[in-house]
Amino acid sequence: MQENHLSKWIDQELTEAELKEFKASEGYATYEKIKAVSDRLSAPDFDTDQAFAAIRQRTAPVAETKVLSLRPYTRFLKVAAAIVLLISGAYVYLNSLDTHIATQFAENKTITLPDNSNVILNAGSQLSYDEDQWDTERNITLSGEAFFKVAKGKKFTVATDAGTVTVLGTQFNVVQRDGYFKVSCYEGLVSVLIAGEETRLPAGKTLTKIKGTISAASVTKNGKPSWIDKESTFQSVPLRFVLDEFERQHNVEVVTKAIDLDKVYTGTFSNDNTELALKSISIPSQIKFKFEGNKVLFYAQDTP
Amino acid sequence: MKDKDTVCEDDTFANIFNLHSKTVFNYIYYKFGNEEKAHDAVQEAFVKLWENCAKVSPAKAKSFVYTVANNLYLNVIKAEKVRLKYADKTLKTTQESPEFLLEEKEFKEKLERALQSLPENQRTTFLLNRIDRKKYAEIAEMEGVTVKAIEKRMHLALKALRAKIDGI
Repeated sequence: MQENHLSKWIDQELTEAELKEFKASEGYATYEKIKAVSDRLSAPDFDTDQAFAAIRQRTAPVAETKVLSLRPYTRFLKVAAAIVLLISGAYVYLNSLDTHIATQFAENKTITLPDNSNVILNAGSQLSYDEDQWDTERNITLSGEAFFKVAKGKKFTVATDAGTVTVLGTQFNVVQRDGYFKVSCYEGLVSVLIAGEETRLPAGKTLTKIKGTISAASVTKNGKPSWIDKESTFQSVPLRFVLDEFERQHNVEVVTKAIDLDKVYTGTFSNDNTELALKSISIPSQIKFKFEGNKVLFYAQDTP
Repeated sequence: MKDKDTVCEDDTFANIFNLHSKTVFNYIYYKFGNEEKAHDAVQEAFVKLWENCAKVSPAKAKSFVYTVANNLYLNVIKAEKVRLKYADKTLKTTQESPEFLLEEKEFKEKLERALQSLPENQRTTFLLNRIDRKKYAEIAEMEGVTVKAIEKRMHLALKALRAKIDGI
């Protein structure tokens, strides 16, 4: 019998003689049965249409599926875009804001400006400047008192409510308090503009404006304001400004009773020794004081 | 000519599907005895065919789907029980005695158990030939072997089935 005769037989490929031989062989009955029974076997049901529909769902409506899946994505994009816009908007806005520096009472700050100019900010003062524009114009807005060491370069302007000080490269001090405006030039030349009137202030000169009255005085050339060395110096300044400065330097509340606040004071008081400062103010002014906790009461010497 | 007759044409694709999907299903089912996996294999194979319709010519589509279906579960799942239906409707028309019917039923169960114990490739060949009426040449194409190898598998399958049923 030839090779693989069983597969030939079931495929009806056997010759007459071979078939005869096979029929006579052992097990033929079983083979015949296997053939007959397996002829009536079938595989599990398979719904061709349903299967095709399932595939069409995965293939044909590609565009539709994409639209669906894109929808949450675009929503996400919208939110993301809004967030990016907000953040960048806030960034640009905050960046465009001026740099703002302030000091509390009894506090000094040294600020180095972008061109290495130095500013020392006295107690209870604040200044602001635009860092981005610094290369094109050196503008500072000041309220309070500050000492400037200006690096040589373009016009340097300090704007205050009381007047504007313009320099090229120098050292000068500016004070602007309620009703009190004083510019001291220590080096170089500064130009002070008060109510449209320009005054050129050379080194060693001081310009003071107290309640509308402008007066000039001298300071040490190449020096520096005394507050840098923790002292406050006054030359013929009404007592009210002196006491205001004392309040700022020592963070002490000042109360006065029966005192002439317009009386001028010339002198110096310490900025870090409160007791000493009180004496420095009261003795030359011939007034008395009572210091309790965080409060000081100045009263006339002859008051009971 | 090549523009007109590609698998990407809806009609061509549907045609190929109708011709081969059932056999792909059976082919995987005979191998592993898992209907769900067989359904998945059909889906996977034809979705792949659709995605690659530009690269696969209609002539090669058939062997493409068998290859994909086959590779999908290559060495992944073990054969489960292959449950086959018995087409009793053909018998209803005949006037067989109840004894004969019972005997046939018993024989069918024996055959199923015997099929179960066959190596996967012999069982697949046997069932593709008996149920799907596939010629040895076709089965050889699906399995990627020679016709001779399929004849050998068929021969061995029959031999093993008979031995199992007769308890040799």
